[in-house]
Amino acid sequence: MRILGFLFGFLFLASFLPAYRATAQGTQQPTASVATQASPTSQTQASAQEPSNSKKEKDDGSSDGGHKLHLRLGGISLGAGYAHFSGPAFYPYGPYDFYPLGWDYSAFWYPYWGPYSFFAPGYFAYGSAKGEVRLTAQPKTAEVYLDQAYAGTADKLKDIWLEPGAYDLSVAASGHQAYHRRIYVLSGRSLKINATLVAEVKPGEAKDKP
Amino acid sequence: MNWKLCVVVILATATLLMADGPKGTEPRPAATGYPAHTEINGVAVGALLLTADQARRHFVSDVNRCCLVVEVAFYPAKDKPLNVSLNDFVLRVKDSDIAAKPSSAKVIAASLQKKARSDRDVTVYPSYGVTYQSGRTYDPVTGTTQGSGVTQTTGVMVGIGNPGPNPASTDKDRSAMEAELSEKGLPEGTASAPVAGYVYFPISSKKKNAVHQLEYKLGEEKVVLALP
Repeated sequence: MRILGFLFGFLFLASFLPAYRATAQGTQQPTASVATQASPTSQTQASAQEPSNSKKEKDDGSSDGGHKLHLRLGGISLGAGYAHFSGPAFYPYGPYDFYPLGWDYSAFWYPYWGPYSFFAPGYFAYGSAKGEVRLTAQPKTAEVYLDQAYAGTADKLKDIWLEPGAYDLSVAASGHQAYHRRIYVLSGRSLKINATLVAEVKPGEAKDKP
Repeated sequence: MNWKLCVVVILATATLLMADGPKGTEPRPAATGYPAHTEINGVAVGALLLTADQARRHFVSDVNRCCLVVEVAFYPAKDKPLNVSLNDFVLRVKDSDIAAKPSSAKVIAASLQKKARSDRDVTVYPSYGVTYQSGRTYDPVTGTTQGSGVTQTTGVMVGIGNPGPNPASTDKDRSAMEAELSEKGLPEGTASAPVAGYVYFPISSKKKNAVHQLEYKLGEEKVVLALP
């Protein structure tokens, strides 16, 4: 009975985790950055900019970024576990998945459930071996996808730091035409993206206009 | 758990399919849309030599450091597929012996990485100092005594090197540059519809007034395009 009680207690505590994640993702991204305007359709590369280390280290929250808190919460989950999630990869389950009594407890099935970022908190934080993507999007609440995985809303992702590589960036909002672009990120380089989504015109609306 | 595995496999396959091979660029509606263009045996060819500024805007990789970039488009004749090969290109600098064949994305990326690695940051710091001295002191060198006063010193310090790796110099950067150059490069192979893409020539673009001409072997014919 004691074990069952503990287990139910744990499941109750653990059920708060997805809600916590949504909050954490919202506050993780730096808010001080200002994305400068680029031409609407162009993908321009700015000159390499070395940001001030003090600010960025603060944003990063150390080399393991947002994983610190994960570790703590993972610890609560009876060591079921903290996994160093360095994504993006299509994991069958979230990093906090665990299997009490051989069952897959699916409360942590983000991002397949709800609007939770597929990327671990801190994934987009500054790193010396990363490149910067400065994203400006209209509407600001547009959803941003990287390699088809949900990353967050555009207003929270003004400054994205990524490992060098090629990515498929998509910005989508309901009632607007989606924006797709193949981007290439190099360490120490900054890339400005201006994704202004064009509103979709419904056939009926077009007819009504004189 | 099996269906979960299926979802993963499907997603992974979709990702791989979306990330396949070179794609080039979107050809303009007609070859006449390019500054240099011609038509031979029903095949229209258009070309544009990118300026340094255009190359900076179109590429994240710093291609200006190693090569000249030419955007080339082919418009094959109807029902006559065209075999596009990078080996058939030559870029010449007019009135000189300089000529080059295209380099592959892999070679260009490796060259850019090497150049980025060899970069050295040299920082010059000016220094200026003002010292106030009070009382009298004996200078053993000159054998004189000095009274109170102000001494001014100026100098320059030079720092060489970076605290971390240079930008775009890691192996991951090389892979990213290779992916960019390859995906934007002119697709090779048989083309039955218009194709376009960038071709990279390892020629330094230091000469400002140099006139370049692009040569392409189209079957038995040789196409020569003067690039403005």
